[in-house]
Amino acid sequence: MQLKDFSIERVLAGYRKQEFSPTELATVYLDAIEANNERLGAFLQVDRDLVLAQATALDSRRQEVNKLPLFGVPIAIKDNFLVKNWQATAASKILKGYVSPYTATCVEKLESAGAIIIGKTNLDEFAMGSSTENSAYFPAKNPWDTSRVTGGSSGGSASAVAAALAVGSLGSDTGGSIRQPASLCGIVGLKPTYGRVSRFGIIAFASSLDQVGPFGRSVQDVATLLEVISGYDRNDATSSRAIVPHYSDHLKGATLKNVRVGIAKDWLEGIDEEVRKSFDEAVKLMVKEGAKIVDISLPHSRYALSTYYIIAPCEASSNLARYDGIHAGFRADGVTDLDSVYFKSRGQGFGAEVKLRIMLGTYALSAGYYDAFYGQANEVRKMIQQDFLTAYEDCDCIVMPTSPSTAFKFGEKSADPIKMYTSDICTLPVSLAGLPALSVPSGVDSQGLPIGLQFIGKHFEESHLLKVAHKYEQVRGPFPHPSGVDY
Amino acid sequence: MSGSPKLDRDEVLKIARLARLELDDAEVALYQDRLGRVLEYVRELNQVQTEKGATVKHIPRDAVSIREDRAIEFADREALLNNAPAQIEEHFLVPTVIEQS
Repeated sequence: MQLKDFSIERVLAGYRKQEFSPTELATVYLDAIEANNERLGAFLQVDRDLVLAQATALDSRRQEVNKLPLFGVPIAIKDNFLVKNWQATAASKILKGYVSPYTATCVEKLESAGAIIIGKTNLDEFAMGSSTENSAYFPAKNPWDTSRVTGGSSGGSASAVAAALAVGSLGSDTGGSIRQPASLCGIVGLKPTYGRVSRFGIIAFASSLDQVGPFGRSVQDVATLLEVISGYDRNDATSSRAIVPHYSDHLKGATLKNVRVGIAKDWLEGIDEEVRKSFDEAVKLMVKEGAKIVDISLPHSRYALSTYYIIAPCEASSNLARYDGIHAGFRADGVTDLDSVYFKSRGQGFGAEVKLRIMLGTYALSAGYYDAFYGQANEVRKMIQQDFLTAYEDCDCIVMPTSPSTAFKFGEKSADPIKMYTSDICTLPVSLAGLPALSVPSGVDSQGLPIGLQFIGKHFEESHLLKVAHKYEQVRGPFPHPSGVDY
Repeated sequence: MSGSPKLDRDEVLKIARLARLELDDAEVALYQDRLGRVLEYVRELNQVQTEKGATVKHIPRDAVSIREDRAIEFADREALLNNAPAQIEEHFLVPTVIEQS
């Protein structure tokens, strides 16, 4: 049994052939996590009892393997998702010890499809960061080189899948938090269209941007996971009633022939040379398969970083006002009056980056500044969106690198916020436009670190996007595993 | 980015007060620098000419669906209360709010 070769289909085939039972497979994963988590820091919580209870329940339902698309498939969940009886800390001290009283809708859907929730994964505190160094507990490490970051904020979910400690995982993406770590860890990560997946039960960061999405080691697995988690939910007013297609079935017969692929040349400035080279090779490969390249222009995307770092902190400052030292989580010691409960609990409970963003948002929303910051940023956001809609009149999808560089060293970007924020320049415009996009590995650099290629689709056209990415993945050929992963 | 667009100490303290955050001196110094840098950066948006009130054409969003106004009982009251840092019987416990004179 080689966990690194386990796709969803391979796991289901194993159950059908009675190679192992859900309990046996879950135990193998739990042991692998135990043996590797100190090295990788991918998981914040693994609870053997909670995992084995799910597996045992499935042991007696073996005949359902043909009905349930994720029967007995181990899936890891980012720790800003609520899963009943599991902790949900969002990697913050302010939520230390918080036990979820209910389960997020998307996780309920996974459970109904037969998945085994294998553990809660590490992240940047409240999903604010691009390296998972902002976790209040410990940083997640990149399985390709543990002296380097996983990217973030869903770094634990990416690391777990890259290191084969889960077949797939869920993350949340506000400005790139699924795609960028997928790129840095050499796996596939998809941010669906805003509204495609319910966020009920996800700890809110920036509500006009937050979206849930899957990680996997192939486009096929990501398509299956998306199919399961998508759909309308009365508990999330922004969730869409649009029909959920059979994404995984649609991959059959995928072709790049006559697909009009948009490339914004001015967007490629500031991209590392090796990433750029891999991008060019990927484009060549697609052209060879019959894709037509279209030059497009996204002139306002150059303002995406500024736009995002006004809108997201404003929304965060409001969303995080609920952490008051009273309703849940941490309360500072020695507080004698109500104000000191708030000031001290929040001051001591939040980490440095979270406090920075709360204050940024508070400043931008304060009297006299609202129009100049939040108002203006929302106007620019509309222009960024409109650029994409105009571009899509001439092309079917857009490609560009996912991240301007490969995985960087710990501490390399933490002193300068703008330097860190720049890690997301390729993903931020897409988030502001609410579009679906996924990252697929396109190669490795001279240091053996993975490079990701970002495919961006039209609103609610994940089906087409996945087809294009799937075909590219096929012509690219098999992608290697990190060298430490030999189990 | 060039120069040092630091915020005044008082300005940081004012924002922290509005955000209900207690900061120590080292943090105030850190945020004078970091807040200053980010605010300086994002001011580039002031140069962008926008058409106020412009609407984005044809983003296929559903018509905002108003759901049925129906209360759903949340059964596990205890699970919610158990997450509070302090509780008494069925209540959240807080320090005295009304001062006695």
